[in-house]
Amino acid sequence: MSIPDFVTRLPNDIGGLDAGPFQRVEHPLEPWEKRCHALADVLDLRKVINTEEKRKGVEALGEGLIAKLPYYERWIVTFANIAFTKHFFTPTELADKMTEVEARFTGELA
Amino acid sequence: MIPETSPSDHDHDHDHAHDDHAPVVEGRPGYYDMMETAVRELFIEKGLITAGDIRRQIEVLDSRSPALGAAVVAKAWTDAAFRSRLLENGRRACEELGISFYDDTDLIVLENTETVHNLIVCTLCSCYPRPVLGLPPDWYKLKPYRSRAVVEPRKVLAEFGTVIPEDVEIRVSDSTATVRFLVLPCRPEGTDGWSEDRLASLVTRDAMIGVIPVTLPQEASR
Amino acid sequence: MATVFERVVTATGEKPAFAPGDRVKVGTRSPIGHYRVPQYLRGQTGEVLKVIEPSLIDNEEEGYGRNAGNRRHYYRISVPMPSLWPGYEGSPRDELQIEVYETWLERAA
Repeated sequence: MSIPDFVTRLPNDIGGLDAGPFQRVEHPLEPWEKRCHALADVLDLRKVINTEEKRKGVEALGEGLIAKLPYYERWIVTFANIAFTKHFFTPTELADKMTEVEARFTGELA
Repeated sequence: MIPETSPSDHDHDHDHAHDDHAPVVEGRPGYYDMMETAVRELFIEKGLITAGDIRRQIEVLDSRSPALGAAVVAKAWTDAAFRSRLLENGRRACEELGISFYDDTDLIVLENTETVHNLIVCTLCSCYPRPVLGLPPDWYKLKPYRSRAVVEPRKVLAEFGTVIPEDVEIRVSDSTATVRFLVLPCRPEGTDGWSEDRLASLVTRDAMIGVIPVTLPQEASR
Repeated sequence: MATVFERVVTATGEKPAFAPGDRVKVGTRSPIGHYRVPQYLRGQTGEVLKVIEPSLIDNEEEGYGRNAGNRRHYYRISVPMPSLWPGYEGSPRDELQIEVYETWLERAA
């Protein structure tokens, strides 16, 4: 029985697939990227969202989004999605909080 | 609010080795930067984590760098009893030195010899021995390295300038869950009698991933 | 005559099914959902190098938010590169080492 690969292969399961030459790219983490990493560690430490849930959540973004979003952007979007699913907070609460966060900066810059 | 780093801003496609981070916009924080603040604050307000947890974890991350791994390697080169404990149980031997494993992972230390060369990768994501090396470089997390290291390790190594003779066996370790790997590189010749500190100064992060050997400074610049 | 200790019966799954040196085959099944057994490894035969102790929570359950549950024996196995990749370029002794849960392994000849 042949099963379509696109159903059974997770987007991040790429070992052995064709890929171009690599470049030895690296960058020092932005402050928010480091905070995002610390958030991931703490969420796992407190078993609010464990590391395997985060991995599964990133896979659930699908190939398209995984390709478009850089690393920590994938993580933070995933944490938000999982938080909605586990009823920790709602999309509206996040939207309101983001507006509040943005206002702190626009207020400062005004 | 308009995402400042919307996907269309980058010309990313899956086969392209991008920098894997968004361009920095001056002044106001970017969309994902603000999302991180908002998500973190909501988790804190809901009582699921505390601001202190985050502050502490940032200190933990800041305290981990390849300098730790290099010190472990230098100790293994100079202390045969430690070396055998390290190869027997990597985590326990590192803990002996005060390196904690905050992320609850295990550590297997892989010894390079004249006949075996080890290389580490995580094809499924970006598993990495963070407690002893800090956070991984971007290239380790990007598709080309992850896809290719398991299928054509010798070509990948050659792209790092590392040519492994045919009679040396290559062992690629792919990390899938809770075990992490650290390569114990070969000690370079001409370092007899060197102190641990001096030896540690030779050991690079990339050598502990297994993509390059440890060399003396004059060799590297030759 | 067996001693009292030797007559202790262990529960199902309590002891690892495989030991270092055993030949094992990785399952060929293709479930949907979360997994940590790369596709390239499916159906491959390898050798157990090490039993990773203690047994761990099955990461296919953990991915769905279970922080406790079935603990599975976990093995480090080695697979020769040439059997993984047809036309592999390199030494025939090159190998891949990877960890796999017992649920994905069966005994091989």
